[in-house]
Amino acid sequence: MRRRTFLQIPAVAAAATSDEIPKYTIVSSHKPQGKAGMPGLYPGQVVSLQSKSVIDAATEKVNPKVVTEMISKGMTELTGEKQAADAWRHFFTPDDVVGIKLNCSGAPKICSHPLVVAEIVRNLMALGIKANQIYLYERFLDQVVTVKYPEYLPAGVNIGVVGNNRSGIVGYDPKTFVEVNFFGEDDTRSNLNKMVTEKFTKIINVPNMKDHGASGVTGCLKNIAYGSFHNVARSHQYSKTHTLSFIGTLASVEPLRSKTVLSIMDGMKAIWQGGPFEKQHKFAFYPGRMMFGTDPVAMDRLLLDIIDDERKRQNAPTVWSRTTGEWGPYVREPGHIEFAAKLGLGEYDKKKIKLKEFNVA
Amino acid sequence: MIPLLFAFAIPNLFWEPGPETAPALDQAGIECPYVRPEKMAAWKNAGRCVMGGDPAKPEKMRVPGVQYRMNEASASRSPWINSNGWRFQRIGRRVVLYDLPKGKGAFGLAEAFMYNAEALVKIDPDDIKAYGDMAKFLKGLEPLGMPERVNIGFVDDGSAMAGEMMNLMARKNLLFKVVKKADPQLDLNLKPEGKNPNEFAVMARQKLTDAKRLVRLYGSETTLVRLEGNDTRSRLHLINYGNRPAEGLQVRVQGEFKNVTLHLAPSGQEPASKIAAPDLMTGEGVTEFTVPSLAVYAVVELNK
Repeated sequence: MRRRTFLQIPAVAAAATSDEIPKYTIVSSHKPQGKAGMPGLYPGQVVSLQSKSVIDAATEKVNPKVVTEMISKGMTELTGEKQAADAWRHFFTPDDVVGIKLNCSGAPKICSHPLVVAEIVRNLMALGIKANQIYLYERFLDQVVTVKYPEYLPAGVNIGVVGNNRSGIVGYDPKTFVEVNFFGEDDTRSNLNKMVTEKFTKIINVPNMKDHGASGVTGCLKNIAYGSFHNVARSHQYSKTHTLSFIGTLASVEPLRSKTVLSIMDGMKAIWQGGPFEKQHKFAFYPGRMMFGTDPVAMDRLLLDIIDDERKRQNAPTVWSRTTGEWGPYVREPGHIEFAAKLGLGEYDKKKIKLKEFNVA
Repeated sequence: MIPLLFAFAIPNLFWEPGPETAPALDQAGIECPYVRPEKMAAWKNAGRCVMGGDPAKPEKMRVPGVQYRMNEASASRSPWINSNGWRFQRIGRRVVLYDLPKGKGAFGLAEAFMYNAEALVKIDPDDIKAYGDMAKFLKGLEPLGMPERVNIGFVDDGSAMAGEMMNLMARKNLLFKVVKKADPQLDLNLKPEGKNPNEFAVMARQKLTDAKRLVRLYGSETTLVRLEGNDTRSRLHLINYGNRPAEGLQVRVQGEFKNVTLHLAPSGQEPASKIAAPDLMTGEGVTEFTVPSLAVYAVVELNK
């Protein structure tokens, strides 16, 4: 007999947003595990670091020493520890099998930078986690291979891509999925990556700072949600997108929610239009920033302003604009972040977000 | 009407070349093909069993396959599938001809078998090995002799519009049969209405509801199904019209079956195989399992 857990989206969330919210059915036998998962050990808290020297805007060359310093500072400020190793111990033990969720949808032009990923791996291994217990993971092989991650990593670190198949569920868990019918599509399931359900004990989310033509921005929530499930592009058709409710719903599925214990947002380079890809180089900008936290909603709430401020500087419509056309085919849904907050994934109210900001030389 | 011999309802090969090609047929395991009447004497003089048949007489089927015409089949990303399945619902058991171009011989044979068609299958001679491999696979299946499992009745008025409505219901794996009048045994009875076949098929799905669909597929937009049997024993046919294998196809069938075996047809260099269904789950009145890779065709045996 199959053992299923049927969880409906909380009625309060649906009622509070829109009567257009599709009916979601979450099927998972996994139960929440403690308090480490989203919004995590530090709900409503974000550490934001900026450095003028971490990336050269002209050459896009990244300074590895500054990356190391920023990650050390970010982690210690987030946890209140003095030593980086002690900070990392808040989240990981030597027995953990850690998945590092890359963002390679815009690779190789914009992606989780290999120097950032390498520094995360170095810190994990310093705790005693073996190389073969660490997996960089992403959905599509053809995107990941455009970035030379292995050249930056110790031998033995795994690259855990699902493959190039955009429709089949090879590599995804047939028992853990979200079922929803958006537009009358026949395949109404989105299954969770089997590495998440069966292999990883913890996940570090490493998104970028990007505009997104459908969701408004793509940061922590979209990277962990759309990047861990299959059959997700079906949420967009013509100008309509269901990213408003789908992103948070996917992110809330166990065990993804419980295992995602840390987010490090790589905003050294960012995209203000055309995301998640870098369609034209003129849409790139260079905040030289990294954000650290366990609360994806709080981090993405701050990201919204970063992207929107740049769009204002570029005389582009705000991400909140409901018009379509030359700036994109879809009505953007930046409200997905607030929707996720209503699912309990984090703090959306800027007044309640505890932001620590630092400059690194 | 051409008299046809049906051993386990395997469609018959129509072979255009002369008796000098007999060794190729031997290698492919083809014992008694159909040939043109005027060639029968030459074949019999060569000591071969052949049957005579005129390929111009039977109704000609479309070449089965897929066309990736984005957004044309419907307001979706689904490719256009050329399947003959719905035609067999309309014409019943009548002799038909598959006249297949190179590369389609084995596929056409599989489709004709799946729909239990009385078919002559005319192939390119270069396809004889693949055809023979598929025929051997089909002959190896245990005869079932059970009725088709459907839960939609459709009153076919014979019009082109009704044909397209049946085509799109089949395309969406809504399992139906043609009825003369509403059949109260079925979950849903329909007759042609409206002028948009796709909207009709969408409406049929909505009225039936996904919960009542006899078969659901997850992970392929190019695979069609046919179901035979009953709640105790069923046989599910899966045929992939796509240009590449359907990897990791998740299947959901109405009924709880504890014993599920996949018979995967040969394809290219891949021989036929038989495996227990991976990820088998039963309960809540349904059975689910995974087909790891569906290159062309598979038969799934489901037993209580």
